[in-house]
Amino acid sequence: MADVLPGGEPTKTTYYGRPLLKRPHWDRTVTIYLFLGGIMGGSAILTLLADGEAAGERRLARNGKYASFLLSVVAPGILVTHLGRPERFHHMMRVVKVKSPMSLGVWGLIAFSTIAAPNAVAEAARNGHAPRWLSAVGPRWLNLPMALLGAFIMSYTGVLLSATAIPLWAKGKYHIPAMSVCSALAGACALHSLLLARSSAPETLTRLAKMGVFASLAEVVIVENFRHYAGEFGKPMFEGALGQRFRNLTLLAGSVAPLVLNGTSILKNRANQREHSVSRTLVSAALTLIGGYVLRETLIEAGKLSADDPTVSSRQPR
Amino acid sequence: MATGFFTDTTICIGCKACEVACKQWNELPSDGFEFSGDSYDNTGSLSGTTWRHVSFVEQLSPEPAGAEDRWLMMSDVCKHCTHAGCMEACPTGAIIRNEFNNVFVQPDICNGCGYCVVSCPFGVVDLIAKVNEPRHADYNDATLNQEREHTSQTALQGSGGVAAKCTLCYDRQKIGMVPACAKACPTESIQFGEIEELRERASKRVEALQERGLPAYLYGAGNEGSVGDLNAFFLLIDKPEAYNLPAEPVLPSTRQPAGYVSAALTAALLTLLGLAVFKGAK
Ligand code: SF4
Ligand code: SF4
Ligand code: SF4
Repeated sequence: MADVLPGGEPTKTTYYGRPLLKRPHWDRTVTIYLFLGGIMGGSAILTLLADGEAAGERRLARNGKYASFLLSVVAPGILVTHLGRPERFHHMMRVVKVKSPMSLGVWGLIAFSTIAAPNAVAEAARNGHAPRWLSAVGPRWLNLPMALLGAFIMSYTGVLLSATAIPLWAKGKYHIPAMSVCSALAGACALHSLLLARSSAPETLTRLAKMGVFASLAEVVIVENFRHYAGEFGKPMFEGALGQRFRNLTLLAGSVAPLVLNGTSILKNRANQREHSVSRTLVSAALTLIGGYVLRETLIEAGKLSADDPTVSSRQPR
Repeated sequence: MATGFFTDTTICIGCKACEVACKQWNELPSDGFEFSGDSYDNTGSLSGTTWRHVSFVEQLSPEPAGAEDRWLMMSDVCKHCTHAGCMEACPTGAIIRNEFNNVFVQPDICNGCGYCVVSCPFGVVDLIAKVNEPRHADYNDATLNQEREHTSQTALQGSGGVAAKCTLCYDRQKIGMVPACAKACPTESIQFGEIEELRERASKRVEALQERGLPAYLYGAGNEGSVGDLNAFFLLIDKPEAYNLPAEPVLPSTRQPAGYVSAALTAALLTLLGLAVFKGAK
């Protein structure tokens, strides 16, 4: 168990190479939650930005409200199934703990759906799907608190990961929350361009494409910066089979390709306001969504590999 | 008052009496049997069903053969941290600090979210599998069974799926008994007691060992780091890593401000860009 190998190269002391930390127990349900929760928060922000008089924006705001509400029911529902004792999910509502992102997140979700529900009902009433008088339960100013809570929900999942002992996540205390926010917003833009692709709303689609470009660009910059910053802590995420998958599906297919496609759409639309390619929009949106899912999956799975490696678990990132 | 453990690894003989006593008292199931090939350690690590674990650090010197061989044994356990990552993370409030200042997981509150598992800087607490069949069907002592059900302190009670770790024998302490592991230890390598007194005793022991030329030091006492002092601390003579302990444990919650600020700035920037993009839409 010498500290120095015959070649004179110092090795790191470990206990038979056994993991020093415990692996996260989180599986695909958590990945799906992180993905959907991000899109939910992003939808709330888009709703705030779009809620205006122009026809296309009206449709975006309507879809944004519906999506925010639907996801605020579906996403936590999926999350509950990963618990060891799902029937005790309501024990999370016994306490509020400022130092626990998971506790804050639960209360954030509750507050979000409390606002998203009347907002969606009022929207349905305005569109004639519910009694007219119900439109009063969702005044337009509700969009602001909904968007703020949405921003919180896009953020806290990244903080939740980095506020753990898992070396990769801990090292990403600046980067992981930021890349989660970018990916969430890019995903929301993608979902809503999918929903609007067949409607005649070229201006709205161009706006979503622009937002998507900003978000994907920021995401690529943050991820690349993290690759350098994380060093040996970043290995599970950037190297090996997982790293390759991440590069191909999140960076190349999920960010760079949509950047090119959306960029083309924006330029073409500038030349001719009426022209708009449905297939380009659909492909770009689908790729963005896949990339966003794979980002979450990579974070969770790489976290497990990171926990297994005792050489990075000893001096824990501050 | 705070109680805890001083574990003096220099007198541990690796008998695993503590491991067995803990399993027995807490009615923890077997983890199966597997030859690890790692010295005499076939347990491997602490887990949801192993709350004491004896490590065997085998150090063989290359030349001359056997001259400086040594065998370090250490009985590991939950550290009952002053600033416990598991407790801060727990969103149900299942993890509490009890009247003895020990970190205790209430098995009837925990819903198995698994957040404590990744928030322990020492890799201690873990989820236990669901056990659906009634436990100890062949166990006949009805009175004892009833008593246990009443105190509700066995982590495996009910059907599992919850987090579990050393309770510091909360049930035994309540009735003035010494924890099972310390009681069973034949060398007094595991010393249970009032934490201040243990610290005094430990520093005297360190001095005595240092006089004899051993590089003895206390792990988890006089700690400057964010985790604070450990109420279960250890006397070691090699680097913490040799015993699979982190050299620099960090309290995970300390990273939250950075994370929230970074996320808020990103979200604000993107929303501002969004305002510019959607300008004129209204
Ligand atoms: S060692 Fe881990 S499980 Fe034990 S009190 Fe500290 S943080 Fe909690
Ligand atoms: S698994 Fe149980 S004890 Fe651990 S953080 Fe979740 S609710 Fe708390
Ligand atoms: S104090 Fe009790 S529960 Fe903790 S390791 Fe010792 S015997 Fe097990």
